[in-house]
Amino acid sequence: MTGPSAPIALTAHLALVSSISFGGFPTVLPDVRNFVVGTHGWMTDQDFANIFAMAQSIPGPNMILMMSFVGWKVWGFPGAVASAFATFGPPCTIYFASYRLWERFRDAPWQRIVRLGLVPVIMGLVIASGTVMARAADTSWRAVAVSLAAAVMTLATRLSPMWMLLLGGALGGLGLL
Amino acid sequence: MWARRVAVEKRRWLNDSEFADIVSLCQFMPGPNIVGIAVCVGAKMRGTIGTIAAVSGFLVIPWVIGLSVGLLFLEYAHLAVLRNILGGIAATAAGLLIATGIRLLLPHRRRPAAVLFAVLAFGLITFAKLPLLVVLFGLVPVSIAVARIENARAG
Repeated sequence: MTGPSAPIALTAHLALVSSISFGGFPTVLPDVRNFVVGTHGWMTDQDFANIFAMAQSIPGPNMILMMSFVGWKVWGFPGAVASAFATFGPPCTIYFASYRLWERFRDAPWQRIVRLGLVPVIMGLVIASGTVMARAADTSWRAVAVSLAAAVMTLATRLSPMWMLLLGGALGGLGLL
Repeated sequence: MWARRVAVEKRRWLNDSEFADIVSLCQFMPGPNIVGIAVCVGAKMRGTIGTIAAVSGFLVIPWVIGLSVGLLFLEYAHLAVLRNILGGIAATAAGLLIATGIRLLLPHRRRPAAVLFAVLAFGLITFAKLPLLVVLFGLVPVSIAVARIENARAG
């Protein structure tokens, strides 16, 4: 399943999506899932959901970790390193270049307009990402109920996400999902 | 947010408004936010060398630790208990993502154009399964153009 072209294809694809990952890690998840699960079949939906669960519960740079786990699945340790570089290299370069420009145009009115246009699209992408991941992870109606409950509790209460992840993990561990 | 606490409060590398500027830049740039913040703080202080130093400090150690822990878990992912726990976490985390998107969209709910573009982005990814590149470059320019027209009318 992993010819020499697989790691190259994955690295190139990650470099591309990371360059356009406005809003960070969540916006790229559906695209990466389609690429590695759908198009190439390098892993199952279950694998992808497991990796997602891990990246969300380990502290640290979770987008880079998530992509490193994906790279590991395809090509072992070199894959993990290549994926990490592909995930943070291009955005780093873009940041470094745009940082000076941003200073110069700090008070320009177009910045506000760009943000007004960009934010709603990004948030639509984040909600889509949650939905796609729920579809990958939720193998029973009880798991669907857990996703819904987590969403409602986040919107309605101030409970820390960490507690909810613990609770979700505990429910799963007890075999209730 | 601990990045602010270290950069502003403990080390006094930057003041609060400089930090706020950096965060607002990073929020609408591609890539992992924390990397952007590290790059910008490093660049502000020491130029290119600062950037490289900041990125290695922010990334390399957490990455090594995170990857090791994660791979250890993946090693045992065939165990039913662990698989069930990860399943529960994944279901919860998916719900958290949905809620985050909704919450950050709420301030824009009175702008019909904003709601429309959010719904389009959601639908094109979830149901049409289009690549991110296509959705982003199809919607964002139109969305910004509409925001510009709205802005011109209002002001």
